[in-house]
Amino acid sequence: MEEQTTFKPLDPLLHSELRLAVMSVLISVEEADFVYLKAQTGATAGNLSVQLDKLQGAGYIEVEKTFRGRKPCTLCRITEQGRNAFSGYVDALQSYIKKAGK
Amino acid sequence: MENLTTENSLRLIRETIEKSRNTIARNSGKPLVLWGILVTVTAFIVWGLWTKTGSPMWNLLWFAMTAIGGVGTHMLTKNNESVPENTLSRMLGKVWMWFGIISTGFYFLIWVAVLICRATGWGVETAGIDFTLIISLLLGLAGAISAEIMDNKAILVSVVVSTVLAVLMSIMLTGPTQILAIAILGVFTLIVPGIILQKTSK
Repeated sequence: MEEQTTFKPLDPLLHSELRLAVMSVLISVEEADFVYLKAQTGATAGNLSVQLDKLQGAGYIEVEKTFRGRKPCTLCRITEQGRNAFSGYVDALQSYIKKAGK
Repeated sequence: MENLTTENSLRLIRETIEKSRNTIARNSGKPLVLWGILVTVTAFIVWGLWTKTGSPMWNLLWFAMTAIGGVGTHMLTKNNESVPENTLSRMLGKVWMWFGIISTGFYFLIWVAVLICRATGWGVETAGIDFTLIISLLLGLAGAISAEIMDNKAILVSVVVSTVLAVLMSIMLTGPTQILAIAILGVFTLIVPGIILQKTSK
């Protein structure tokens, strides 16, 4: 009983394949554009847009619409809040694995 | 999609970070290979023309090489502009950018000094400065820092051995043959690390 209460809850926003992949890319770079995120995650443009909106809505990422030359470009950056949430999610996963290994 | 297990989540994080890091590393290797080829080819051209004509003025071709390299790097960057920067790519870029600025600036100053000496009769032409030796040391230093950033022992050995060889050549040889030291460094401090960076990131 004692052990069950020490499980850390998993952030439901990050516990989704595509959103987790996007955060994993953004955690190791300063910023990444939409084209790069699409290529790295293998997502469709529509689905990626929806998930980016959700992450932005939660304050986990910043999205900046800009131009590269004449081409429009969507830049995404992880926020401090997003970094903390990602770190907390990984800690929670590790606590689950440690418990399972006992 | 939402049925992520704990293990699957951790695997997804690890694989995605690794994939992104490899893409960035591959992209960082391309300019190294481009500059390595340019340095090596230019060294051979200068060596050939200087040997044939006896004129060291062919060394001015290094400025042309810098211009071609600048355009080539710009085009490479433009073709891969969606690939972001990480710590590795940013540090590699800065190390080689400063090598380029210092060596080109220094070379430019030497030529200015030579022209002033010739025009005014002041001082001694080139003042005994061994440009090949200085460039060899700078290339070796930049290559060694790059190898440490990449944490790659094979590249470090390649850089150190070629730098020692190039420095010895710079000290023991004179005239056009000395330039071949730069060609060796072009291969072992730029082309080889660039190729290793691209191959190990696949």
